[in-house]
Amino acid sequence: MPDVAQLFDEWAAALGRGERPDALSFIRRAGAGADELATMMDRYLRARPRTEPDPETVELARAWLEGNAPLVQLRVRRGVTRDAVVDAVLEEFSLGPDRRAVVKRYYHELESGRLDPARLSRQLLDLLTRVLETPAASILAWRPRPLDVAPALRAARSVAADAVFETAARARAPAPDDEEVRALFISER
Amino acid sequence: MHDARDAEDALLLEARDHVALLAAYHDVVVQRCLVGTRDESGYDVAQNVFMRLWKELVRGKTYGVPYRVVVHKVVDWTLKQHFTGRPTDVPLPEGWDPVDASDAYAEVEGRDLDSLWADLPEGAREVLDLRYGEGLEIDEVAARLGKTRNAVDQALHRAHDTLRGRIGDA
Repeated sequence: MPDVAQLFDEWAAALGRGERPDALSFIRRAGAGADELATMMDRYLRARPRTEPDPETVELARAWLEGNAPLVQLRVRRGVTRDAVVDAVLEEFSLGPDRRAVVKRYYHELESGRLDPARLSRQLLDLLTRVLETPAASILAWRPRPLDVAPALRAARSVAADAVFETAARARAPAPDDEEVRALFISER
Repeated sequence: MHDARDAEDALLLEARDHVALLAAYHDVVVQRCLVGTRDESGYDVAQNVFMRLWKELVRGKTYGVPYRVVVHKVVDWTLKQHFTGRPTDVPLPEGWDPVDASDAYAEVEGRDLDSLWADLPEGAREVLDLRYGEGLEIDEVAARLGKTRNAVDQALHRAHDTLRGRIGDA
């Protein structure tokens, strides 16, 4: 059986260093001890005083509150252009220049919050952490703030309206015109 | 241990510095939501927690408890709704109150690391402070405290068992 105390120790020490340890990874490693570990982690998080946020977290929070895309903020802060990210994706996965447009479109969808970062393939997530020099947790956790929908609009939604919304959503979603690229951005990991 | 941060939060609330306030709690909210859901849906829950906290701040709502307690209670409330299949992407109900919403309010309000570790020997608390407070490696803890690595391992192990037991009893 995995040593729950050891896992808790590793995770808590990483927090102490100001890192963003992957809580899910620790819990999965605990196997049958997952319940015990999760309980320890949760109680510890309640008791631990909050830490001072680093300047980057403050900037990401500002972008989120202003309705801007935190991922764009992160990229710009690193001085990385969107084209540079696209180039890195093409090179990493040996995709030819004819795939540039579709990769760029998918990446744009990701930055604008229309793709769920939790669906990124592990390989692409790893690449983005290197290119953007940020932990995976930042990419996964900072999503664009949903725009407000007027209460009247919510209340008035009908079957017909739902059909319109659905059609619009399909139109916004990237067309599945490149299965290999799509699998990088929308995976079942 | 919480007092200084609670005072800082009160100042941020008064100044309506919502950016600093939400940034300060970002990591703990995300970690708690992931631990609570144990899968990637924790990121969605965390997003909805922040939406709820932000809406409350924009409404200018005030609380009779430290903001830390509000944050933890919104996490609890949102996780509970998530597991009962209720929508979490909507604002908190009008009149939602962290004290009323809490059946374990005293635990959140009063619990800090000092109280968790209060019964540990002084040496073990020093080890925990360096290991978890500063994130030092075991060898670094040993060097800082002038102990052998084995002594630190033993102290950490004993402290760990105690901490796990204490946490489990909370």
